Amino acid sequence: MNPYRLSSGERREATSVIGAIRRLAPVMADQRRSIIIAFAATLVASGASTTAPWLIARTVDIHIRAGNYPGVLTSAALLLAVYVTGLIATYVQTLQMGLVGRRVLFNLRNAIFTKLQELPLDFFNQNKAGDLISRINNDTDKLNVFFAQALVQLAANLFLMGGAALLLLMLNPRLGAAALAPAVVVFLITRATGSVVKARNAASLQSLGALSGEIQESMSNFRVIVAFNRVDYFQTQFKAANDRNYAASVRAGVLNTFFIPLYGLAMNCAQVAVLGYGFYLITRGQFTVGLLIGFLLYVNSFYMPLRQLAAVWSSFQLAMASFDRISDVLALESNLQQLPPHEGVDNAVLAFEHVRFGYAKDRPVLRDASFVLEHGKTYALVGPTGGGKTTTASLMARLYDPDSGRVLLDGKDIRTFDAGERARRIGFILQEPFLFTGSIRDNIVYGHEGLRALNDEQLAAMLRAKNLDTLLARFDQGMATRVTAGGEGISLGQRQIIAFIRVVLREPEILILDEATANIDTVTEQQLEQILNELPPTTTRVIIAHRLNTIENADEIFFINGGELTRAGSMQDALDLLLHQHRAS
Amino acid sequence: MAEDKPVTTAGTPAGPAAGRPSARPGGPPGAGRPGGGRPSGPSLFPLLAPYRGTVAAIIALTAAANGLNLVIPRLIARGIDAFAAGQLVTSTLVTEFIAAAVAIFILTYVQNIVQTLASERVARDLRTKIVAKLATQNLPYIQGTTTATLLTNLTSDVDAVKLFVSQAVGSIVSSIVLIIGAAALLLSINWELGLAVLAVLPIIAVTFRVVMGRVRTLFGKAQQAIDWLNKVINESILGAALIRLVNSQHEEYQKFVAANAEARDIGLGILRLFASLIPIIMFCTNLATLLILTLGGHYVIAGAMTIGEFTAFNSYLSILIFPVILIGFMSNVMAQAGASYGRIARVLAAPAPAREGTRAATLRGDIAVSDVVMKYGEKLALNHVSLTITAGTRTAVIGPTAAGKTQLLYLLTGLATPTSGRVEYDGHPIGEYDKESLHAQVGFVFQDATMFNLTLRENIAFSKTVRDEDLAKAIDTAELKEFIASLPQGLDTIVSERGTSLSGGQKQRIMLARALALNPRVLLLDDFTARVDTATERKILANVHRNYPGLTLLSVTQKIAPVEDYDQIVLLMEGEVLASGTHAELMDTCPEYVQIYDSQRSTQHYESVQA
Repeated sequence: MNPYRLSSGERREATSVIGAIRRLAPVMADQRRSIIIAFAATLVASGASTTAPWLIARTVDIHIRAGNYPGVLTSAALLLAVYVTGLIATYVQTLQMGLVGRRVLFNLRNAIFTKLQELPLDFFNQNKAGDLISRINNDTDKLNVFFAQALVQLAANLFLMGGAALLLLMLNPRLGAAALAPAVVVFLITRATGSVVKARNAASLQSLGALSGEIQESMSNFRVIVAFNRVDYFQTQFKAANDRNYAASVRAGVLNTFFIPLYGLAMNCAQVAVLGYGFYLITRGQFTVGLLIGFLLYVNSFYMPLRQLAAVWSSFQLAMASFDRISDVLALESNLQQLPPHEGVDNAVLAFEHVRFGYAKDRPVLRDASFVLEHGKTYALVGPTGGGKTTTASLMARLYDPDSGRVLLDGKDIRTFDAGERARRIGFILQEPFLFTGSIRDNIVYGHEGLRALNDEQLAAMLRAKNLDTLLARFDQGMATRVTAGGEGISLGQRQIIAFIRVVLREPEILILDEATANIDTVTEQQLEQILNELPPTTTRVIIAHRLNTIENADEIFFINGGELTRAGSMQDALDLLLHQHRAS
Repeated sequence: MAEDKPVTTAGTPAGPAAGRPSARPGGPPGAGRPGGGRPSGPSLFPLLAPYRGTVAAIIALTAAANGLNLVIPRLIARGIDAFAAGQLVTSTLVTEFIAAAVAIFILTYVQNIVQTLASERVARDLRTKIVAKLATQNLPYIQGTTTATLLTNLTSDVDAVKLFVSQAVGSIVSSIVLIIGAAALLLSINWELGLAVLAVLPIIAVTFRVVMGRVRTLFGKAQQAIDWLNKVINESILGAALIRLVNSQHEEYQKFVAANAEARDIGLGILRLFASLIPIIMFCTNLATLLILTLGGHYVIAGAMTIGEFTAFNSYLSILIFPVILIGFMSNVMAQAGASYGRIARVLAAPAPAREGTRAATLRGDIAVSDVVMKYGEKLALNHVSLTITAGTRTAVIGPTAAGKTQLLYLLTGLATPTSGRVEYDGHPIGEYDKESLHAQVGFVFQDATMFNLTLRENIAFSKTVRDEDLAKAIDTAELKEFIASLPQGLDTIVSERGTSLSGGQKQRIMLARALALNPRVLLLDDFTARVDTATERKILANVHRNYPGLTLLSVTQKIAPVEDYDQIVLLMEGEVLASGTHAELMDTCPEYVQIYDSQRSTQHYESVQA
């Protein structure tokens, strides 16, 4: 299996609270201050909320019964102070935890996106765009919800429960044990079912990712769907994904919501146990009614937070399932590593040494390709479709690494160059050029600090100097013309022109044109050729084209087919090869 | 939404990080623009109408479980009283208690299950409804609304509504019932004090309204920010190769951080509002308690109220407080769901494309385009274009990049509608034809390759009407036989999304086979030959001629040589028909055509060798 294919819902271990905290710790590392403040605020808030009833009860007992109205007013003032404290503490707690959630969300999204940018092209061939979007948006949001709403509640409740449990055991160890026994039972049940809960939540998330993948694909290909009367295809594909998502979500939901009633039941069991056992102890003279009433209150203060924990529990498992999906992406490492520099061996600008490469290991596209490209010359790659021309060009630009053999740039292994250096030296116009949503200007200066810093006049002057300005004339608003990534309202030929300007403006040492002008009319194409001829004399050009006029001026022609790369001595040779080819693709 | 031409991008919330235009005048009204300016969406409750029974069950179960929960303290109190009086029958107490506990457990769990089922069903049905609506929409609508927005509508918007059903419906209704009940009890004990206590409710209501109004707007913006994020991620995935080539990962990161920071800031805005809302509501209810203490204390001391009544007042207030706070929490869910449902409702309410034709006759293949004007925004894509094609003939359209060639093909398939002018098949306007029937007879080979994540067989036999022999003939004609034979799994090979495992030429031929498999009466080729080598191209065109006799062919192309013998060649420039006629006629009469011809002459020498 390809190392970049993201797993789809294999079963994972349930996450224990401690294990989770250990895994989440790095994500929260810079949030420690907020978390501590929030935790302190939570304690103050719960302190305030327990003080208030006690204060009221005291006021009734001491002042109201005695008819002491000034005393009532003093107590009221005190109560107001308690309420204001509670107000502030609750605000601080909600705000701080919300901040933590938001910041974690922000950081995680950035981290995944950065990782996506580090990964090689192969990764994107393996995974659906919709699923990746789902991981970046939906999964991170599940974690946000957990952090914002559940985390502090989890911590504070555990704290309160610990206190209550201690009190119960201290007041009367045996009655305390009876009170806590149901909690132990539900704890064991929760633990035992943890992995199922998490697996079901993971399956539910997975089905949501698949659903967005389906939507993404159908919406992007809508015109074909319409033109081929297959709106029903879109609907049935969608319905299948939608139904799967429904089934998976219901399965997860039914289990997730089991715990709240269960914990409620545990609380009631504890109450009845305390009552029954308490009465027995009282009849034996070992306990009093007053103590029993107090004891029951403490049982409540143990079980109420426990019940809330049940609600938090599924949110926690959901968050952890999301975190797994996020971690899957974060754990991937690019296999395009940079090697330490070494001395160059010759002066060729680019060379292949026994290169073997295939997208799948058992189907090589190139078997044993070796050739040398020199400065300032023009090379053509010809061959039937599917023969390996684009693959060869992609290897030149290190979009992939060979399975064996080496690609040399300036006599040094191309893997020793950093990505920036490579981008400066090699310009590559792709078969189907991609444009970002924005203006043409945005697209031609894209990714180049120097060009971006230019103002409109400077850029226009630069375009004029390279005769590129006439190409822009065909866009109604010139550089300001807006384009979209979907390419609506702009033809493939126009996209090719923009890509051409983008690359030529950067003056690369090696310029690779992969059918870069295939959809451009021949008159304009002559213009492009003229521009190419005026590039600095050291520029090496690599041209892939079906239209033979584009390659007739090549210094050397390589014929690529069936894994073999053959040097064709002349145009005539190349034609013979094309004519007598046996398509091995 | 006739004005929503695909060229508009204003529907998406933002451009690139650098130089993001602050305002674009004349953006499309409404087109997929999520309602920043319109704070109130449609009510959520009509959405629940079809689920009336389920919702009633949820409310009944919630009420029953809550009611039983109130019994437990009474059972305890009664047990203690009876024990103190020496009349306790422990077994009865335990039996009653356990019966109540188990009943609560069952009721609560059943309630939860019903809520889960209901919310998931609402989500599933809502998605189905959106998709059914999208299925009736035309291409310009989908392109105008953008994939990113529709993705948000179908995932996070629907999720927000789902959360509303699963969490808010039951608790809000039962909370309102509890509030009304507790309020009635308060008033019955002491109406003056009761009124004073209930006076906090309007304060709470006003706070809600003010905060919610602002939150709603922010939620709209938050979803826009998510759209923007989706767009940046999506483009970074689709443009992955380019990004790696020009080493612009950092720039992409900047764009992403800008979108992400926007999402975070809006999120923080919402957070600040909510972080203040809930404490303020709690504080208001606490003020009521304070009122009871001071005013009630005064009444008790003055002898107008008993201690017992005072205690009852306090306990009823605590019954009142919890649902009020709950509604506070749920208002968050409601506000989000309201904003999301507003966006969904706009998709559902978008007008469907105008009149569906019914004509389903077999096409002869006569095509007439008369005086067609087509605008993309301000720009004229086609300017008074007229064109006549006789059935069974071959026509080529030649012209420079951006001459309007592709738009012409879109018009002929009904994927786009002209701003003015007529498009006719066999003398009948294209609008009269049943869309399905037309699409089944007009094969369109798009310029850029579109592959589905399906097997090769399903990709080629994409239309449902394709029979096995149609498929075989199409594969033969497109010269794909050898290629497919070379694959270990043949026709059952899965093509990956975006077709990354195929070469440009292979994709192009698969696209052709997909159109041919329809057994079309009319075949439209959009620059089909650009990616296929000349030898293969000639073979394929000869195959088409042989295997599909009587086919009307319209081919948009750059190369003159392969179409020299066509019945008609149309020269299109800047959206206007400059000339049309046979090759010989154009060579005699049209200098622009001669210029194009000359620009290709050097090639022809080689290509004639090759032929």
